[in-house]
Amino acid sequence: MRYLPSSPAEDRALLDTIGVARAEDLLTGIPESLRLKGGLDLPAQGSEQEVTWQMLDLANKNTRFCAQFLGAGAYDHFVPAAIDAMVGRQEWFTAYTPYQPEISQGTLQHLFEYQTLICDLTGLDVTNASLYDGGTACVETALMAVRVQKKRHTVLVSRGLHPLYRQVLKTNFAPHDDLKLVEVDLKDGVTDLADLQAKLSGDVAAVMVGYPNFLGAVEDLSALAGPVHAAGALLVSVTQEALAFGWLEAPGKAGADMACGEAMSFGNKPNFGGPYLGFLAVKDAHKREIPGRVVGQTKDLDGRTGYVLTLTAREQHIRRDKATSNICSNQGLVTLRANIFLQLAGPEGLKGLAEQNVAKAQYLRQRLLELPDMEPVLEVPFFNEFVLRYTGDYAALQEACLKESLLPGLDLGRFYPEYQGCILWCATELHTRQMIESLVEILARVPATV
Amino acid sequence: MFLRQRESLSFDRSVPGKRGMDLPKLDVPAAKDTRPAHLKRSGFDALPELSEVEVIRHFTRLSKWNYGVDDGIYPLGSCTMKHNPRLNEKVAGLPGFTDSHPMAPDALVQGNLETLFTLQEWLKEITGLPGITLQPSAGAAGELTGVMLIRAYHVAQGAKRRVILIPDSGHGTNPATAAMAGYEVVELPSRPDGTISFEDVTDPLNGKVRKGLKTLVAELGTEIAGAMITNPNTVGVFEFRFKEISDLLHSVGALVYMDGANMNALVGVARPGDFGVDVMHLNLHKTFSTPHGGGGPGAGPVCCTEKLLPFLPVPVVVRDTVKVGEGEVPRHTYRWDWDRPQSIGKVHTFYGNFGILVRALTYCLSHGSDGLKEATLRAIVNANYIRARLKGAYALHIDSPSLHEVVFSDTLQAKHDVHTLDIAKRLIDHGYHPPTIYFPLIVPGALMIEPTESEDKGELDAFCDTMLAIAKEVEENPEALHQAPTLAPLRRMDETTAARKPVLRWTKA
Repeated sequence: MRYLPSSPAEDRALLDTIGVARAEDLLTGIPESLRLKGGLDLPAQGSEQEVTWQMLDLANKNTRFCAQFLGAGAYDHFVPAAIDAMVGRQEWFTAYTPYQPEISQGTLQHLFEYQTLICDLTGLDVTNASLYDGGTACVETALMAVRVQKKRHTVLVSRGLHPLYRQVLKTNFAPHDDLKLVEVDLKDGVTDLADLQAKLSGDVAAVMVGYPNFLGAVEDLSALAGPVHAAGALLVSVTQEALAFGWLEAPGKAGADMACGEAMSFGNKPNFGGPYLGFLAVKDAHKREIPGRVVGQTKDLDGRTGYVLTLTAREQHIRRDKATSNICSNQGLVTLRANIFLQLAGPEGLKGLAEQNVAKAQYLRQRLLELPDMEPVLEVPFFNEFVLRYTGDYAALQEACLKESLLPGLDLGRFYPEYQGCILWCATELHTRQMIESLVEILARVPATV
Repeated sequence: MFLRQRESLSFDRSVPGKRGMDLPKLDVPAAKDTRPAHLKRSGFDALPELSEVEVIRHFTRLSKWNYGVDDGIYPLGSCTMKHNPRLNEKVAGLPGFTDSHPMAPDALVQGNLETLFTLQEWLKEITGLPGITLQPSAGAAGELTGVMLIRAYHVAQGAKRRVILIPDSGHGTNPATAAMAGYEVVELPSRPDGTISFEDVTDPLNGKVRKGLKTLVAELGTEIAGAMITNPNTVGVFEFRFKEISDLLHSVGALVYMDGANMNALVGVARPGDFGVDVMHLNLHKTFSTPHGGGGPGAGPVCCTEKLLPFLPVPVVVRDTVKVGEGEVPRHTYRWDWDRPQSIGKVHTFYGNFGILVRALTYCLSHGSDGLKEATLRAIVNANYIRARLKGAYALHIDSPSLHEVVFSDTLQAKHDVHTLDIAKRLIDHGYHPPTIYFPLIVPGALMIEPTESEDKGELDAFCDTMLAIAKEVEENPEALHQAPTLAPLRRMDETTAARKPVLRWTKA
């Protein structure tokens, strides 16, 4: 077995020093009756070559596409070669959580830089060393909001939030009999101000809105902040496509008190949904209630600058059942991908990339609308996703696209009955004009339904 | 290893006009600016301007200040820092996997679904439990999912119940998880051998009586929703009365959660399903060799018994057998089942840390039934070898048989005013990552050492020789240890100021 390094003679020597005849003699702590009789009913070990073929076979059973016009929380962006090269260094990917700062300064300084960039993008003061993904980041943010807002128990959630984020929120709120999640309706693709105002009360701790929301629409945070703050609630922006921060004002500067969401767009492929990168940023006043690991700058005994895990008095290993969260391992290596991505991009690269996304999505929308069976639904500013009504049959459209190795947009009716017959389209910098023209050409040939 | 002593923050080296990323030529009309004026990005305060060369050098230099598994033994107890096979990394990077979209129709991601289904079959057999979800992203996320399953089960029975019992030796995530799932935590005391006490325990220091398992079950009865028990426990000792513990809890309708952080001691040797466990999590980034990544991403699948199956998170991957002609090999297709009315719902946006799950399956296939058991036995031999060599020089606070890890105490060194932290820092000077320190809390000045199966005799000896040399230095020159480390890029850090006056990001001077 190639991962077990001791030779038979070395093994013998180990057992002799311990003073037992066989390794099995060390299992005396496990009662005989609880030990497994016989072996596991599983296949025998495979060689590197055999396993490679087996896994290649599985990977090849997935259908490949020339282009995916599907986003919905998982965005396909270009990944610079430097990222894989860097994270492939064992010093990064095989290291543990940086508990011993003197021997982990690499990870710690990286996380300090990563925290700085998340604060920069969101326009807020404090963030942590990551959360699992967009959905669970919403949970941690909502729970933090009710902690900060003592004696308030309701969180209002815009229906524009990713439907799967809302499902994760619902799961995690279920155990708390004292907490309430209430949805706020959409109007013309954005949070309905009248419905929001009707639902705001002295019990509302926070209001969560998509920025941009699941329909791709840009919510006007500043317009929402007025009534939300007047009711004493916190405004939380939830961003499922973090590249939008290159185009849209930082939520902290547009009225949000907290910003959370998904940053997989910085240096990752869709990867069937994970590992992704959840983030949460808050104002300075709330820093001692933030969940998860936080890195801080300090000095060593000789006065040299260095970095440590800090504010640990909030965490599970110190506070146990009084901790701000149970989170321990998070998405360390994915933060490294994001940090490298953002440092390569710089302000101009990020803005340029974001603008290309807007340009491609606008062009895709314009071309699709030239087809007789596509109709506009919303007239709101959008980032790289938008909704169109399709008067034809989605199944037929999907089949036609797949035949030509194109993955079409999302059938929105699956998540929003009110948008039955609508499709959520996405275009990024990866979509060439040629791909867009091919899509339009294929759609033009889809037979109309009777 | 540490080539340069200083590497400034990227933000301090930003130079206007530098770029590390170029963009493709825009082949469609430029974007029309549709944003309301107040939502136009106003700019950035920190995002640096650097070339690719500088970015690569920056992260390369920073990396050299880290210690990784490939640098040598990484003896963090309960963390299972084993070798991360490169094959796993290569396979997880196959474009067939990485390019696949989580919202794509099932028919287009058959390879992914088969991968997940196959991994589930392995983990079910390894744990002896018939139900599984791969959605949780880490151990703590698995714990939370597991306790929510317990809650959903009790709610379906009529009452969610109030209390979760957790031993005082448990990892901090256990009580934090129980609280997040809406439960009150009641602590179970340990016996001198580190296992759960059935009887009441009197604290020798203050005479306070702590109620044992029997008393708590008698008093709380049907208020108990379940217990979260790490097995082997955090002292590296098997809860030898596990079956009696589960029987007692089951007698009042409570369920047993097993924290599987230490499964590296059990795979192929014993199965939790055989000792009364109702639900448990596995840490794929420990037992199944996926890398720790400097703090994740991990994966914390949850396995459960038949009676918890209806409550598993949605969606659940299902295999259908396609009817074929006589004599032909049956074909399978896979799909997500979302229609599960009793499910607790979703615990991750999509299906969990898929890339980590691919690595874990690769590990399983590489080891096979025989290799998995062999790895467990070698991990146990290695821990016991360290125990045999260091016993005497370091105190064994608890003398029960060790499995995959061994916990020493600093009581012998404390006589010289040298403590666990000093020993850990001196190890850094010798080029080793220290063990887990001051955990579990029930061992004074704990040094928790877990070598895993990945170390050969040479590496184990080198580590033990160093530990013995440090023990000798403690006797001869204890003062010197308070200065350690002296050979690392930095000396001890001022953590108090870091927490009192937190500086959590760079700001423009």
